Amino acid sequence: MAMLTFERKYRTRGGTLLGGDLFDFWIGPFYVGFFGVTTIFFALLGTALCVWGAAMGEGLAGQTWNLWQISIAPPPLEYGLGLAPMLEGGLWQAITVCAIGAFVSWALRQAEIARKLGMGYHVPVAFGVAILAYITLVVVRPLLLGAWGHGFPYGIISHLDWVSNVGYQYLHFHYNPAHMIAVSFFFTTTFALGLHGSLILSVTNPPKGESIKTSEHENTYFRDTIGYSIGAIGIHRLGLFLALNAGIWSAICIVISGPFWTRGWPEWWAWWLNLPIWS
Amino acid sequence: MKKQLLILSAAGALLAIQACELPPVETSQLGFRGVGMEHVANPSTLQDSMESVAARIPQLAGAPDAEMEPAPAGTWENVQYLGHLSEAEFNRTMLAMTAWVAQETGQGCNYCHVIEDDGTVNFVSDDIYTKVVSRDMIRMTQDLNANYPEHVGETGVNCWTCHMGEVLPNNYWFYAADGERDLERYYVNEGARQTERYLLDQEAIRVISDQALTGDTENTSSIQDTEYAYWVMIQMSKDLGVNCTYCHTTARFSDWDESPPQRVTALRGVGMVRHANAEYMLPLQDEWPANRLGPMGDGPKIQCATCHNGAFQPQYGAEASHATEWPAFQVLGPPHNGAGADADDGDEDTEDGEN
Repeated sequence: MAMLTFERKYRTRGGTLLGGDLFDFWIGPFYVGFFGVTTIFFALLGTALCVWGAAMGEGLAGQTWNLWQISIAPPPLEYGLGLAPMLEGGLWQAITVCAIGAFVSWALRQAEIARKLGMGYHVPVAFGVAILAYITLVVVRPLLLGAWGHGFPYGIISHLDWVSNVGYQYLHFHYNPAHMIAVSFFFTTTFALGLHGSLILSVTNPPKGESIKTSEHENTYFRDTIGYSIGAIGIHRLGLFLALNAGIWSAICIVISGPFWTRGWPEWWAWWLNLPIWS
Repeated sequence: MKKQLLILSAAGALLAIQACELPPVETSQLGFRGVGMEHVANPSTLQDSMESVAARIPQLAGAPDAEMEPAPAGTWENVQYLGHLSEAEFNRTMLAMTAWVAQETGQGCNYCHVIEDDGTVNFVSDDIYTKVVSRDMIRMTQDLNANYPEHVGETGVNCWTCHMGEVLPNNYWFYAADGERDLERYYVNEGARQTERYLLDQEAIRVISDQALTGDTENTSSIQDTEYAYWVMIQMSKDLGVNCTYCHTTARFSDWDESPPQRVTALRGVGMVRHANAEYMLPLQDEWPANRLGPMGDGPKIQCATCHNGAFQPQYGAEASHATEWPAFQVLGPPHNGAGADADDGDEDTEDGEN
């Protein structure tokens, strides 16, 4: 396979996290690395276990190959924080280990690539926040509540049922203050991406006969419309800040639901009504 | 700048701690594993109320009369619903009722019975309104235990279940003046109109459509109807201290096939409360003295919280709240054949009609 000129810099050996040069090579355009191998291992094993679970029909829907209904459910609450029999949630536990193994391996592989390129660790750290949100759902919150059964089931419809039921346990989840913040960040990050993406598409696709525009045009456009332009680097810093906060506040909003608040979220706001100023 | 940040984050941390409960929590599973059909409670809040309930249970002497024979004719006068009791059991029940309901008044028998000028007690007289109300409440308790086993279970209920040592149970409801709000006593607010629609007018709250809401749908529920349904459900959730998943699979709220069995118990309970209000509370309207009436002049009425007080079972199922030890309340008792007493009144006919 032909190599682009700048790929020589990317294909630098060494800089591995564990030291040594085990799997420190490329297959075609893809870097392998030790953590690439562990990613493949966990991803394949986890997927195979999901397929096996579907074949055994251990979820609520029974045996089905309907992609919407296949579900790998966590153990009943009675097993607490112990290991469950394979077809009563043990499979979910094994798949959870595989998922975390694959996600963390992938983040470590990103870190190795960053080292080879002499970059900062922005990419693995950002992906780490997504992993943190997942681990909060299936490890941290179940640990705090005292049973693995509080994790969500791995199925397209069944995980939505979980979301619905868990939401209604707190009567009205939109009153969860951290959920409010997380949703605001999610909307803002997509809004910022929409503004930034449309701007870049505009300057790089000028009308026939005109040349591609520069950052001066970009800045002028936003100074004209909203009075301020954050700049080319600034928009990426802002995007990272918004996106990471969306993930972090999502993790916070679910981890406080149950372990730190068992009543309806609307009731939580009683602290406002009870402020000594007017109560 | 740094100092301001420090103060701000300290205030934030204080708020976070103040406004939160702390683990560990207690959970129970209500449906298939893993789909979030759970009940979550914090024992630090629950335990407090459990303990406060336990501390108030009165110590009552004596066991139920095992070989109970109805008291011979002429034992009492004007006893309309307790004719199935022996004299010993009757007296035991009367003493218990004094502790269950009138303890705090310190009046003893005099809370319901007239004391004559010479110091003797006139048990026959109906001159004190509390005696008339008590008689109706005895009948109601018998009725609920005999006719609503799907809700009160095999244990049944007694006066203590709702009264808990006070002459007025908690959480009865009145109508409120328009716009009146009372955060402490949430049952007296504009929501009373919704309670009225549900518990007195017996309006259904089924607003969920089982078909697409196109022009020719049969479901004509308005936004106001859905608001009404939501209000009633949130009220019930608060009354019982449970969340939505206690009775519903939330993706399909209306579907009975996927609902936990508690939903049936709750539905029977709604029927029971409607019956109790229609047959017992509303007819008492003319008996209440002015100080027992609400701001709009109506007498007290029952809702779920009147007995449940925010617990999934009244008093968390404490034995003292059961009718098991109290034969007086287990059946619809017959009138006692007193000398010349005409005990058969209109209430009897209503009861027969119900059954």
